[in-house]
Amino acid sequence: MVQVFKNNFNYDHDFKVVSLAYLNRYPNPYAKHVLSIDTIENFIDNDGNLHITKLMVKTGRLPSFIKPFLGSNLNSWIIEKTIINPHTSKLVTYSANIDHRRFIKVEEYITYRKLSDGVTNVNNKVLFSSNFIGFKQRIEEWSRNKFTSNIEKSKDGLSYVMNELKKLKT
Amino acid sequence: MGNIMSVSFAPECTEKKTKYDDCFNKWYTEKFLKGTSMENECTQLWDDYITCVNAALANHQIKPSLDKAREDQPFSHEEISGSDKK
Repeated sequence: MVQVFKNNFNYDHDFKVVSLAYLNRYPNPYAKHVLSIDTIENFIDNDGNLHITKLMVKTGRLPSFIKPFLGSNLNSWIIEKTIINPHTSKLVTYSANIDHRRFIKVEEYITYRKLSDGVTNVNNKVLFSSNFIGFKQRIEEWSRNKFTSNIEKSKDGLSYVMNELKKLKT
Repeated sequence: MGNIMSVSFAPECTEKKTKYDDCFNKWYTEKFLKGTSMENECTQLWDDYITCVNAALANHQIKPSLDKAREDQPFSHEEISGSDKK
């Protein structure tokens, strides 16, 4: 069984601020686990949508029951594919870890869309799947729980960046 | 911008990255979202930056898995440009 997490909420900010903050969300004081972030692809398709691929390195702690197999600390490489439609004010993004997939694969889909001036809706879905024989369910549950307990931090991080961007404008 | 401390995985590329990011952010908010530019205007900075990144990636152990992951197309045409689902 793959574990799934879903969430839907609104930010009281324009799509412009939210999308710019999303693209610049790291580093922030709530995301000390992010070590680096690079853009590795960038183009506009025939319909005028902007495609951006990013590569991140994150560090994280592993659950104690898995330490005998993989050690206690490890870095993980993440790919993130984002597409922005400027006409509909919509941003869709997908991210997944590239390495350690036998242990756990976490895939996150997020859609940001303009609801009205000053309000942007966020809809996300995260899939957790492991192929680690004997520990599959424990790993998936651990990963999902960890993600759930960090979701407020992620929101705080993006809000922090949005407020910083607003300060710059004034 | 909010990413002053943001670094590249390859330390030698961080300066090029910062210059490109600054240019991109300006273009994105002032032109792209307003529909006045269909072309990324930071091409020179982009070329400098991506050349540096590609050189650092070329012999990196992550390269094969990264190339594979880059082929994924997680979104359908409808999700990108069509009407909203749900």
